[in-house]
Amino acid sequence: MTLPAMFIINVLIVVILGVIARFVKLGTQEKAEGWNFGFTNRDLILMAVVAAISGVVNTGTGILWNAANAAGGPLAGAALQGAFMWAYILVFFLVRKPGAMLIVGVLDTAVEALLGNPSGIATIGWGVTQGIAAEVVLAICNYGFFNWFSLGLAGAAASQFGTVWTAYLFGWDTTPEVVSQYWVATPINLISGFILSGLLGLALGKMIARTGLVRATRSS
Amino acid sequence: MSEQLLAYVEKTSPIHRADALSKLLWVVIVVVATFQFQTTLPRVVLFFVLLFTALVIARVPLGTLWRVSPLIFGVAFLLGAFHYVVTKGITPLYQFGSHVVYREPLEAGGAYFFRLAIMVLASFLLIWTTDTYQLMVGLAYLGLPYRYAFAIFMALRYIPLIQREVEAVRAAHAIRGKAAQSPLKHRFRLWQRYLFTVIVNGLRKAENTAVAIEARGFGAYPERTYWKEFRWTRSGFLIIVSFTVFCVALIVWERVYL
Repeated sequence: MTLPAMFIINVLIVVILGVIARFVKLGTQEKAEGWNFGFTNRDLILMAVVAAISGVVNTGTGILWNAANAAGGPLAGAALQGAFMWAYILVFFLVRKPGAMLIVGVLDTAVEALLGNPSGIATIGWGVTQGIAAEVVLAICNYGFFNWFSLGLAGAAASQFGTVWTAYLFGWDTTPEVVSQYWVATPINLISGFILSGLLGLALGKMIARTGLVRATRSS
Repeated sequence: MSEQLLAYVEKTSPIHRADALSKLLWVVIVVVATFQFQTTLPRVVLFFVLLFTALVIARVPLGTLWRVSPLIFGVAFLLGAFHYVVTKGITPLYQFGSHVVYREPLEAGGAYFFRLAIMVLASFLLIWTTDTYQLMVGLAYLGLPYRYAFAIFMALRYIPLIQREVEAVRAAHAIRGKAAQSPLKHRFRLWQRYLFTVIVNGLRKAENTAVAIEARGFGAYPERTYWKEFRWTRSGFLIIVSFTVFCVALIVWERVYL
């Protein structure tokens, strides 16, 4: 299977997750800002700080993940694949505007690249792919609402779509064995992203809201 | 390790004098070129040219390069080894006892090793020689709205503050008897607490910063001024031209002669 075919199948996965998020409404629905791209200074600085924190945290995890994926292929790092996008979901919880997750994705991975991610500047490719996938899921929901399930699916989509960049960078389309391993790893990537990014990011947001210390969460 | 070794080092080399955008473009050229090569040899050549650029032209200390070498070569080596194992061999090259070394796995392993090593070395060279403030000004010069460029600058500016914050939280926990020298499960719990405290403190600081910059009129006008405006430099232009010519020559050499 060629890389473009892997890309198209992954786009379909992301769109399907978005459609599920739109029509299966589980848990309490919270309101988002709709298609409001007007980021305030506070939004931008919140995003920058969360990206810096996640960049620092993810650099450590990234070394482990890079080593596992490079040495063992798609299956080896799949369980950890979803551990990088919690900041996207947290920022969406705080800012609730379209584009926030993509901006944090790019900033977070730029910080990682500067802090010593073993993939160098190519790390930003993951920020872009993962950020776009998370945005697509919530764009299909019209950015009008979110719940634990839709954020979980956004995390899952980000986790899976990020592997497109990994496949390109690490050459996971070179042999049929590696390609089949890639598809075997897909459910693990999705579950990992759902829990470690979607649910963890939301839980962090709710915990922060409960402290009452951050003005951005006082309306939630 | 990262904070000390992967940071801008002020020097007066031609690479340091080059503007930030040219260097960013240079990294992109190098990365694109390394994806265009089909064999290992041009990548080997490019890698050693980069190494020469880092050590001789940019005057990066050998010790610094040596200490970050696990980051440059570690994952690249593992990736190379993975492709060596999964690629089927057809053409035998050497034989060591019962083990035959084939050309194809060796080519694939070498290609992936050098491809990643080149990208990481070029990225690190950008970090060692570029002031992030200049990068922010450069991105705004390219047309990125200055509030967004400022967000990038803020993210980078916060890194050392976060690292200090983690130390402060760790010290606060240690004073209260939550020692870091404990079983793995307890350490994980401690890490969770550190992270939560750091995030909440960071968000509070972010909100205060937003109020402070707005009080100074940040974002009120479509344009802003900088204490040091962006300018394209001759050395930056030279770096771009020389590497573009060199990479194109390597690609032509590979396609025609290899």
